[in-house]
Amino acid sequence: MLRAYLAFAKKSFLQKSAYRFDHFMGIFNTILRIFIFWEIYQALYGGRAEVDGITMSMVTTNFILSMGLSVVFKVNDFYLPDKLQDGSIATELLLPVSFHGRMLASNLGSSLFQLVFHFVPALVVSVLIMGMEAPVSAPMFILFLVSTLFGYFVLWSISFLMQMMSFWMLNVWAVMTIKDVFVNVLSGSMIPLWFMPNWMQGVLKFTPFSYIYFTPVQIYLGQLSIKEIFIRFAMQAFWIFVLLMAGAFFWKKGQKKIVVQGG
Amino acid sequence: MSFIDVEQVSKSFRINKRSAGVAGMLMNLVAPKYEKKQAVKDISFQIEKGEMVGFIGPNGAGKSTTIKMLSGILYPDSGKISVNGYIPYKQRKEYVARIGVVFGQKSQLQWDLPVIDSFELLKAIYSIKEDVYKKNLNRFVDMLDMGGFVNQPVRQLSLGQRMRADIVAALLHSPEIVFFDEPTIGVDVLGKETIREFIRELNAQDQVTMLFTTHDMQDIEKTCNRLIIIDKGSKMYDGSLQSIREKYGTERRLIVELNQEEELEGIEGVTIDNLENRKKSLSFDNNQVNINDLMNNLLQKYSIRDLTVSEPEIESIIQKMYNGEV
Repeated sequence: MLRAYLAFAKKSFLQKSAYRFDHFMGIFNTILRIFIFWEIYQALYGGRAEVDGITMSMVTTNFILSMGLSVVFKVNDFYLPDKLQDGSIATELLLPVSFHGRMLASNLGSSLFQLVFHFVPALVVSVLIMGMEAPVSAPMFILFLVSTLFGYFVLWSISFLMQMMSFWMLNVWAVMTIKDVFVNVLSGSMIPLWFMPNWMQGVLKFTPFSYIYFTPVQIYLGQLSIKEIFIRFAMQAFWIFVLLMAGAFFWKKGQKKIVVQGG
Repeated sequence: MSFIDVEQVSKSFRINKRSAGVAGMLMNLVAPKYEKKQAVKDISFQIEKGEMVGFIGPNGAGKSTTIKMLSGILYPDSGKISVNGYIPYKQRKEYVARIGVVFGQKSQLQWDLPVIDSFELLKAIYSIKEDVYKKNLNRFVDMLDMGGFVNQPVRQLSLGQRMRADIVAALLHSPEIVFFDEPTIGVDVLGKETIREFIRELNAQDQVTMLFTTHDMQDIEKTCNRLIIIDKGSKMYDGSLQSIREKYGTERRLIVELNQEEELEGIEGVTIDNLENRKKSLSFDNNQVNINDLMNNLLQKYSIRDLTVSEPEIESIIQKMYNGEV
């Protein structure tokens, strides 16, 4: 059974490598984005050592990690919508595998490729140009990796739930764009959440967004106590569970509404 | 209980009705109108193991919808479906591992990869054992004469080649039941013949149960013994090809070619039409007029060069059924 999902993961891994020029431009784009935000914040800092207790080097670390990881975390938001729109959902459902498992396996395959061939080179170049904080300790680094994995599934689950909307709307482009704005602004990958007003930070604790990139970054920088870390893990797990359950609920409802487009 | 059991199944879709033009677009934006379309209406039938059944009807009759419900893709609104003890739409994952489906209009193959790579992927997905895979692959590639193109990317194949590759893709895991949805659509005469021959052999040798939809009556005549005709979502006929001829095809046509130009006298129950070159066409109902008497009668009265009797084409019988004439 697992063999089937491995095959899907392998396929999407290989597909990622099909366009080489596009891939190199993608790496360049990631480095450029990090660099632009780095420059903006350097100007904002104006040579000060720290702002609100946050050093420039911590800000740099936030951008390199969250923007770098966003390349690995990237979900194909149109996996299900495209299949519903062109009718290929019919042939998909003929395969003796769980459709959700197939969705995840495909995503994991391309994420693994992105991790090795996009994130790592972009990270090395960015660190050479801009520098970055070192991990505080080995155990913290391991906890950081765990929360990163959780963060991955939080983002994947958000997309999973949103994709289910395509059973009711044939075109979900607008919905996905709005989702992206929320994720970009509220996850700290554009504005580090430290600089958000206090009330905003309070509100964000009750949304899934801060648990995607910001929690791993905070753990990496050693900003959280062990107790706080485990509370964050619990929150990440909570959101994954809730979002997946909601997605599965809409899948069940939506499946009855499937109309195979084009004959 | 039958192998495939469909009981009073109905399925309807909601269709957005939009009038033309900018005004229609604006109206649709503010107050969209929906119309319910009944795709399948109270259909029931049973199919036994090893049967080969043709499923025909005009475009939009509900054939594909029925096939999609039988293969677990669509949920019926009401009614019951059971296939070999499975409820397709409820036990989809376990069920689809045992069936094969070929959609003439949708390919299961990976567009960019060689055909053989798609087959390898399916081998992994269905967890097909190496020896079974090898055996099936070699056998099917041989039967469908595919040796020349299994290593070519799918996008470079002709429609006929792609269809054959799709058929093999649906059969690699040795399914017990195969649904074909228009497997010969757009394929040339030679290609169609290869596919029909293959389907016949598979049914005869492996006792695979098959249901297939088509527009091409030749497909049915050359492969199926049993025929289900549906129109506007309802079943109109279910039985053998032979009995459809006996029941509805009682019209016969006798073409008479005379040695010299002359008019035929009227005969009761027979419609006479003049064709070109001293040929006459005599149409009559097989049950009302005895063909032997008619021919004897003609041979005594006239000097006849040639006589031919023609049965109606199955196609024209079905045409009449669609039009509600029989």
